[in-house]
Amino acid sequence: MTSYDEWQRTHRRSLLVLPITAAKSFLLPVAIAMVGIGAQQPKILLVAGPLAVVGSIGLGWVVWATTRYRIADGAFVVQRGVLNRTSLTAPVDRIRSVDLEASLLHRVLGLEKVAVGTGVDDTRIELNSLSTEEAEQLRTLLLGMAHVAESPADTEMSHSGLEHEATAAAVDPPQVPAGAATSAPEQVLATLDPKWSRFAPFSLVRLAVVGAALGALTQFDLPVIETGAALWDKLIELSVMVVVVGLVVGALAAWTALSVVGYLVQWWDLRLFREGGNLRLTRGLLTTSSTTVEVARIRGVEVTEPVLLRMVNGAEATALVTGLESGKYAVLPQVPRAVATSVAGQVLWLGEEPGTVDPLAVPLVRHGAAATRRCHIRGQLAWTGWVLPLALLAIVFDVAPTALAVGAVSVAVLLGLLDGFFASRHLGHALTDDHLVVGSGQLTRTRTVLERAGIIGWVLSQNPFQRRHDLVTLIATTAAGAEHVTVRDIPRSLAEPIVTTVTPS
Amino acid sequence: MNSTVPVALREPANLVSPNAVRMWRVTSWASFAAMVVVALVLWLVLPTWPWWATVIALVCIVPEIPVAIWMPRIRYRVHRWEITDEAVHTRSGWISTERRVAPLNRVQTVDSSQGPIQRWFGVSSVTVTTASAAGPITIDGLDDEVARQVVADLTTVTAAIEGDAT
Repeated sequence: MTSYDEWQRTHRRSLLVLPITAAKSFLLPVAIAMVGIGAQQPKILLVAGPLAVVGSIGLGWVVWATTRYRIADGAFVVQRGVLNRTSLTAPVDRIRSVDLEASLLHRVLGLEKVAVGTGVDDTRIELNSLSTEEAEQLRTLLLGMAHVAESPADTEMSHSGLEHEATAAAVDPPQVPAGAATSAPEQVLATLDPKWSRFAPFSLVRLAVVGAALGALTQFDLPVIETGAALWDKLIELSVMVVVVGLVVGALAAWTALSVVGYLVQWWDLRLFREGGNLRLTRGLLTTSSTTVEVARIRGVEVTEPVLLRMVNGAEATALVTGLESGKYAVLPQVPRAVATSVAGQVLWLGEEPGTVDPLAVPLVRHGAAATRRCHIRGQLAWTGWVLPLALLAIVFDVAPTALAVGAVSVAVLLGLLDGFFASRHLGHALTDDHLVVGSGQLTRTRTVLERAGIIGWVLSQNPFQRRHDLVTLIATTAAGAEHVTVRDIPRSLAEPIVTTVTPS
Repeated sequence: MNSTVPVALREPANLVSPNAVRMWRVTSWASFAAMVVVALVLWLVLPTWPWWATVIALVCIVPEIPVAIWMPRIRYRVHRWEITDEAVHTRSGWISTERRVAPLNRVQTVDSSQGPIQRWFGVSSVTVTTASAAGPITIDGLDDEVARQVVADLTTVTAAIEGDAT
């Protein structure tokens, strides 16, 4: 086993990867310049082309030669740079995540990129790249050490035999055999079922990518057909219909195919498992990635059902984690609702005995008629609130037919009703022995489950409209997820006992 | 539930400094005066003064009067704070009200600050932050002496807490 007391370099084979990374950073400006200059003086390309290649190889070498890392004095240190020599230091007891990633090229070369996160700020320390074994060894070592260094008061969240075993095994880091954490019993929470990819078309996250591609397509002008005779017009009208229908069907088919393929490429070989004191997720068909979060940092889970997914009984699940850039850790892609709730439930009870009440299934306490009314008012404000003034303006200034304006307003009212109806259906809360459960969302249904121990404060606010019905907005503040969980329009008589129960005094 | 009978949330016990009321009154009248001055200057400088300019000016200026008259009193009644052995608890606002609670074992930093106007009136504000961006608690308008005492007390308490309070 390598001794990390001495300075280490990244792997020799990364000399093959680094030039490409270096080239990427100046590829675009150089390419533009070359096209510009090359158009006038093609000869320059003969010189500039090889120069760019040599330049990126040289840069890659410089990066390799100047980057070194070690573990010394309880800190993980990475140094790099020539003129601006930077030294990145992360105390091992502050290391919160060690993530691995390998693109196709990395995998061919047997390399892996390592990213070390401390969770305090957004900068992650990256090493590009180590051999697969080195990367795994470093990961195990850093996470193992981080675990030992943790103060006892900090692990109030989870006390399990498993975790202490892992801790004990890692007490003396230099003697840890490679993969100490992996030798601890694993508990697999989820593996990919390829059939889940049927949910991919119902998630619009990937739509942006496809939209951009389609946008690029429209840059090409379609030939405009000159028309003469009435017969032609009729024919064209018909063919326009056919073309439109064809386009819609084609777009839907393309979208379905693309999203399913994208889903499988991204989530292939998904494995969500517990490894000692960590929750680890590995996935990827072409680019593989492995991310880890400490079980002790998980403060809750969230199951969301965006409207399209809900229609086909699908859902997504994330864990709410402290000390993570976004605070949310996607544990599953779009999956059947039952799978999402069961995996979320397992994540919630990692290292603990499951409680008697399942926070993901417990019925929510409704907030009453006044809260429902406020849902409807908000729904109308969200739609009619801006459509109505626009329609009135359109009628006054005579820019649109009155029928159209009236139609738009009725549609807005309907949408607002729908919005308000669903919002009131989803609104609710429950307090179990260990968790605060909050239902929210309008068209999207969200259930947030936050550990009571993860709540670090409360805000109860009341505006004049709420005061009339004695409703309050209750916010539980936390260090995980979006840093706050909001219970909307809860009667004050229900909100105050929650606060006093969770936070006595 | 671990408590047998869930109790309603008690109101925080302490009022803020009467000096704060004076400060709110003076600053809101000052802001009213500033608006009037701006409107007057514009009226003198601009070549034309259309009717809607008067409307805008009135809409900006008139609401300042009831604010200056009522706000300090209401705010003094609403603003309250209390620090128990376990938690910091405040109430603030005057149109919308807000109550904030943070257990002391989750407190991360305790700051006090005093702007030039606050110094004039001898009041300070104390801000208590937790690990959540949504959770800072500010007590506005404390007497200098009280603020110093509060900061000293809170610092002693939070220094004794282990772990990273998340």
